[in-house]
Amino acid sequence: MDNLYLVARIADTRVALRSRAINSVVTVATPVEVPGAPPHVVGLFALRSRVFTLIDPHVVVGLPPVPVAAGQRVIVVDVAEHGYALLADEIEDVCFIEAAETRIAGKLMPGWARVADAMIEHQGASLLVVDPAHFVTIPVVNAA
Amino acid sequence: MDDLLNDFLAETAELLAEAGATIVAWEADPTDRERLDAIFRLVHTIKGSSGFLALPRVTALSHAAEEALDDVRRGKRTADSALVTAVLSILDRLSFVCDALGKDANEPAGDDGDVIDALAQVETEADAVAEPEPEPEPEAENREIRTRRDDDLQTDMQGWRSIRVPLPLLDSVMTGVTDIVLARNEFARMLRESGADPAVIGSFDRLSDSIATMRQSVSQMRMQRIDKLFAPLPRIVRDLAQDLGKKVKFVTSGGEVELDREMMENIRDPLIHMVRNAIDHGIETLDDRVAAGKDVTATISVTARQSGNQIEIMIADDGRGLSPDALVAKAIGARVLSAAEARALSPKEKLELIFRPGFSTASQVTSISGRGVGMDIVRANLEKIGGVVELRNEEGRGLTVVLRVPMTLTIISGLMVRAAGQYFAIPRGAVREILLETSDSVRIEKLGGGEIVSVRGEQFPLLRLEDVLGRHRDDGDDADDRALVLIRPGQDQSYALSVAAIHDHEELVIKPAAPMIMATGLYAGTTLPDNGRPVLLLDVQGILAVSAIDASEAGRAHQQAEEADAALAATRDATQLLLFRDIGGRTRGVRLSVIERVEEVPALALFESAGAIRAQIGDDMFAVHAARLPEGHGTVKLLRLHDGQSVLCYPIEAVIDIVRLPDVVEPSATEGLIAGVVLIGGDPVEIIDPYWLMEQHARGPIHAAPRAPLCRLTDDHDGWGANFLAPILRSAGYRIAAGADDDEAPDVLLCLSGDESACDHGTDAVPVIRLRATAASAGPDDETVYRYDRHALLEALSRRVGGGRA
Repeated sequence: MDNLYLVARIADTRVALRSRAINSVVTVATPVEVPGAPPHVVGLFALRSRVFTLIDPHVVVGLPPVPVAAGQRVIVVDVAEHGYALLADEIEDVCFIEAAETRIAGKLMPGWARVADAMIEHQGASLLVVDPAHFVTIPVVNAA
Repeated sequence: MDDLLNDFLAETAELLAEAGATIVAWEADPTDRERLDAIFRLVHTIKGSSGFLALPRVTALSHAAEEALDDVRRGKRTADSALVTAVLSILDRLSFVCDALGKDANEPAGDDGDVIDALAQVETEADAVAEPEPEPEPEAENREIRTRRDDDLQTDMQGWRSIRVPLPLLDSVMTGVTDIVLARNEFARMLRESGADPAVIGSFDRLSDSIATMRQSVSQMRMQRIDKLFAPLPRIVRDLAQDLGKKVKFVTSGGEVELDREMMENIRDPLIHMVRNAIDHGIETLDDRVAAGKDVTATISVTARQSGNQIEIMIADDGRGLSPDALVAKAIGARVLSAAEARALSPKEKLELIFRPGFSTASQVTSISGRGVGMDIVRANLEKIGGVVELRNEEGRGLTVVLRVPMTLTIISGLMVRAAGQYFAIPRGAVREILLETSDSVRIEKLGGGEIVSVRGEQFPLLRLEDVLGRHRDDGDDADDRALVLIRPGQDQSYALSVAAIHDHEELVIKPAAPMIMATGLYAGTTLPDNGRPVLLLDVQGILAVSAIDASEAGRAHQQAEEADAALAATRDATQLLLFRDIGGRTRGVRLSVIERVEEVPALALFESAGAIRAQIGDDMFAVHAARLPEGHGTVKLLRLHDGQSVLCYPIEAVIDIVRLPDVVEPSATEGLIAGVVLIGGDPVEIIDPYWLMEQHARGPIHAAPRAPLCRLTDDHDGWGANFLAPILRSAGYRIAAGADDDEAPDVLLCLSGDESACDHGTDAVPVIRLRATAASAGPDDETVYRYDRHALLEALSRRVGGGRA
């Protein structure tokens, strides 16, 4: 169970998310905006009578925000007893990855450097291993 | 009351079960202080709850157990198995009584002396602790008092029945029902769109209705108005104030706030503790309040309000507040703190000492608020539910304790409004009025870049919700729909919030929003109305802070302020009367303005001398208006009357109140202590005449005029004059000079020899009084005075001097 990963493309980057950190993957309708909230908060949506806060990972890593398309898939996570969802560009797969997580080699964009924990080999490509909680708790990079 | 009793029984059953288990574990290790404290708190809680339900047996039992355990806590007693057995038999008896209560709703008659005494004597006679005797049947008269018919009783008994359900189960039912509601809404929309058969729609509507009903019941399962928590308080305040001889006005507000049942249970005891503490320790005695220049009637207020994602319950009193230094001294005395530690404490930390276990601010243990277990229980209970306790202390002026608890599952009535094309909720409780902007009574003015609005002459700062949120107005809005919501976020604050449209009212379940959303300060939480689209609840107080406007009502509407001032001045001008009970037990009154202060002195400070009662207060001596010395060795309360020059003490039994002096005073027929009689609250009250009182005592020598007449004694050969006569004369207000060596001209000469030639000093200007040694006068022309005729002597003196005595 420990090496079960969700492989997805978020903020234009292929990443692997440890499955135990993830609640579910769902599709959302148009979220309700939150005026005055930090820029990475896209809005609120309800899922089975709970309200979730939708986060745009693009903004977190310092990219311009992307509009939410109807039916877009999001990754639902719980952080400190609050429900959040990360906007995903694409959900690829849920799979066991036998390879071990390795230290990140090479220089990342500052935004990514703060959310990525490690790297992992999967089907001949290197993926960043990301803790979804970092997208929620880490302050947004000012896109300079 | 039924509800309260029911809750008490359910809670007590649980507590007793818990206490029994813990107590045995404690017996195994008597040094386990934590366990001892836990058991102690348990019985204390039972005692506290039973007190306001008027269950004397339960109170007596739990009090006895508490007492014994407290002795152990203080190390006066050791915990042995006999003690534990005795405490257990008390607990057994408690559950027996509670069982009977559950069946009968009446405390069964019976005597618990056996188990209580057993506990008291357990140290010497371990064997005395027997199994509790079987309870006698409730007495017949107990049954006869009930006039309800049997079937009434039957339904009542159904009402008593309740079960305790684990909260997670309730939670899951709640979530399930909310899901059903959302699914129903979705389904309803699809049905409408599909153009279904009316028969199908009809039966769906029935389903829909029952879902709505069910949702309501489920909400009620967890939610209660905070009113319920406040309900027993007035009674507690009343009884306690009466016991302690204090006058307390009790006010509550914000009772409509709804709170999760679990929160409620956890707040109930702390709240009662706080209120008791306020009355017992916080509020001064009547005399102290008068002395401190406060209203005799103290005010305790309990206020609940929603603040952000929390419910804030404030218990405020206008008593003496906490003294940090006294707390430190007390803590050192109670050995919960060393002197070295104390020096390192900040003022705030000093105040927080009251949260330490085993600490008590009252110098004496009272049966009312106990032994300072209150505050550590309060804190423990609140922390359990993620709450905090905050103290706002104004030494000498009062203490406010703020309990903050998360509001997690709070249902409030919300007003849905629209702005910038989306909906927001405003807590209904903060809304004072809703007006259309186009209404005639509204006038909006632009003023230096800002906007103000006048509504029927009253002015409010105007905020536009779109501006507050940093959004543009939605093009689809109809200008005619724009409305003003007059918001009162707190006491004496108000502002107008302009919104694009008012939607409707809804009962909303509020949940906290994500931290980064709460951090904006604009929102108090999120809610999910029936349409399944999340809505943000506006933080009406936070909006003020974010917009940085001063919303206080003070200084607005000048006319009103002036009127208020005038009213205040009128009250101030009205003569106030201090009502008191005098030593004879009669209710009398005296104008407050002549009272300098109320003094409480030990009875020994009063003494009798020279036919008058005096009181020694500090280094001063004052005349006391009393016929005789007080009996006993207690303390005496004295009203200090002050006429600008001298002070007179009037002993009283107790201060009753300060009231407005009625306009109609029935004057008394004769001059004397009582100037007249007035009716206050339908009862006649005698008004003391301070003029007469002062007149009586102004003659007193203590504050005699500085220029006392000088009386020279001549021919005092044997010292009789100096030894016998001079003291009397001095006390009558004369100064005495002996012999002729004094330069000051005397006002009168007293010749102590009956021989006429002896006193011929040749100065006719000074009147001379001759004293004779024999009682019988020599003849009708004899002007001499017999030397032991005190009255005649003083009269002669005063006649000669022209009124040496005023």
